[in-house]
Amino acid sequence: MVPLENYLALSGILFSIGFYGVLARRNAVLILMSIELMLNAVSLNFIAFAAYLDPDRIIGAIFAVFVITVAAAEVGLALAIVIRLFRNRATSNVDDAAIMKW
Amino acid sequence: MGGAIVATEILWWIFAAGIVGAALGVVFSGSVIHSAIFLILSLAGVGAMYLFLMVEFLALVQFLIYGGAVTVLILLALMLTRMGAGEKVNGAQAPVAFMVAVALGAILLSVAVRTAWPGDTGDMPHNIAIEAVSEKLFLDFGAPFVIASVLLLVALIGAIVLARQEDGE
Repeated sequence: MVPLENYLALSGILFSIGFYGVLARRNAVLILMSIELMLNAVSLNFIAFAAYLDPDRIIGAIFAVFVITVAAAEVGLALAIVIRLFRNRATSNVDDAAIMKW
Repeated sequence: MGGAIVATEILWWIFAAGIVGAALGVVFSGSVIHSAIFLILSLAGVGAMYLFLMVEFLALVQFLIYGGAVTVLILLALMLTRMGAGEKVNGAQAPVAFMVAVALGAILLSVAVRTAWPGDTGDMPHNIAIEAVSEKLFLDFGAPFVIASVLLLVALIGAIVLARQEDGE
């Protein structure tokens, strides 16, 4: 039986890898992929906690369903924005999209 | 029985190593297409983790939505927004980001390992019935479910409006 700590450690590692990707990458689609990694780490955490600490084990799965729903909406919108940005400014580098930066 | 449990643990470590390796591939690979392929591997590995935790419904959702829909969408966007050949994938802040991420990972790991989690009986998680999930989702979580549906609809319309090709463009 794999202990709960293993899942939490795996999810923590996955989250920090995604965190590094968000901070280091400059391509908008790559940043989005790293965000997906972080969201997956969070879902894994929910499921692991529910599996080990919650007697009926259902709430964690429902939270993960909502995380996946929001992630799907987020990916659709973000990619639309990226395609729009590429069409208008011919770049998907987030450093070049700084006209609204004060 | 003991042999089966040991085999499960070995399999778990193989999958965990695969997830971490693929995730490292996502953030360190020089090519965006390779990153997307690594992302598929990593997300499928997390789906396998759901199988280890006996949440088969979510594993299926994970494979279908992440392994299928999301990665196809990301690959499509990569094809549409092809980078220039000499463009750098990492910014100048990458070394600092690396240090911050390692620090965050160390904190999360130490918290996960050193906390005495309550009620950890070490029992094998039993499979949860999909009927129970749907009952909980539609009865107790009815309002969030409706809000999530509206959110999806709004995101769908918003994505169409944003990506639409306007006249005279």
